[in-house]
Amino acid sequence: MSGIFDRLQNRLEVQKREQGISAIELADLPPNLRRIMRMMLRELAMKYPDIVKAVDALPEAQRISRPDLDQALDMLVEQNWLARTGDGDMTTYRVNLRRKSGSSLDKDIWSALDSRITTSKDTPALSKPPSTE
Amino acid sequence: MAYIVSIHSFRGGTGKSNFTANLASQLAASGKRVGVIDTDIQSPGIHVLFGLNEAKMGHTLNEFLRGECTITEVAFSVGENTGDAEGRKKLQGKLLWLVPSSINSGEISRVLRDGYDVNRLNEGMQKMIKELKLDYLFIDTHPGLQEETLLSIAISDILLIVLRPDQQDFQGTAVTVDIARSLDVPNLFLIVNKALSKYDFKQVSEQVTSFYDAPVAAVFPLSEDMVDMGSADIFSLRYPDHIWSKALREVAQKIMEVG
Repeated sequence: MSGIFDRLQNRLEVQKREQGISAIELADLPPNLRRIMRMMLRELAMKYPDIVKAVDALPEAQRISRPDLDQALDMLVEQNWLARTGDGDMTTYRVNLRRKSGSSLDKDIWSALDSRITTSKDTPALSKPPSTE
Repeated sequence: MAYIVSIHSFRGGTGKSNFTANLASQLAASGKRVGVIDTDIQSPGIHVLFGLNEAKMGHTLNEFLRGECTITEVAFSVGENTGDAEGRKKLQGKLLWLVPSSINSGEISRVLRDGYDVNRLNEGMQKMIKELKLDYLFIDTHPGLQEETLLSIAISDILLIVLRPDQQDFQGTAVTVDIARSLDVPNLFLIVNKALSKYDFKQVSEQVTSFYDAPVAAVFPLSEDMVDMGSADIFSLRYPDHIWSKALREVAQKIMEVG
């Protein structure tokens, strides 16, 4: 039974990750939300008191009031753009970026490419390194 | 505090990787702890400038993204592996690390086919800063706008956009500048590269500054000497008195002034 539960749990985790935010969506966020997300991207994970401290340290014009901050965090969690764990002062937030999706090309095309790559492995390398941009 | 410096160009062939490698090398040569990460997973190239080839390459960013190793295991110490190239030898003992993307064709096709976890890429960059105690992390990106490029812009303290004096570059750069502004990048500089010697560089700089309403850090000449080197060495270290190298040091200075 635990196997089924674990698989279900994993599936839910994967779905959550797939619903994360993409970098282009960051650009469309209102300034307060974007400010929080940019800070979280750099810190990876932050406890609530640390977020409050960091927001309070912002220049006055960019500062976010406590109710606005709480509302913004709730909204970001609701969208699955931030993941929230723990309670009270131990509540931790972590950014959830959407996975970069793979190619939508037909599998046969990738198989054909893989076999071409395997066949060409014996091809001698260039004697001079190729120039880069 | 570590600074994340993203180097971007809207189109290929602007000289972005060469510029990035030279800039990172200059900062490392001046005693800073510097990391370079090649997020151009589809067409990696910056490793060539640091004397790395497929045979010498250990772990790669691709393996890190699949969870097969840590980011510090991927980091290649340039200062301990400078090789014989005259310019690179000046980096001996310097604190400069490169996280290369794989140049194995199977690995490139695999990442294109399967995609990857962008959270892990971001974690890798932040951990690289902490664990290697970096002063600067340079992110070399794929030209154009896509996931890893946008992420690198979103997390950067300084964004350098490299463009050529060319109408196609001008229009594409406008898109990138707009995105950078909407992502609140604190410091944005434009780099004009491959300008013909017959141009008035001061005038080019003024025109570009006024067109984008953003500062031009430097205008670089199209250099035959650099083309001739073919990415075999770090140009600005090998030819420190060259006009290109002098312009590069001006940009390095501007970056250090931000900090």
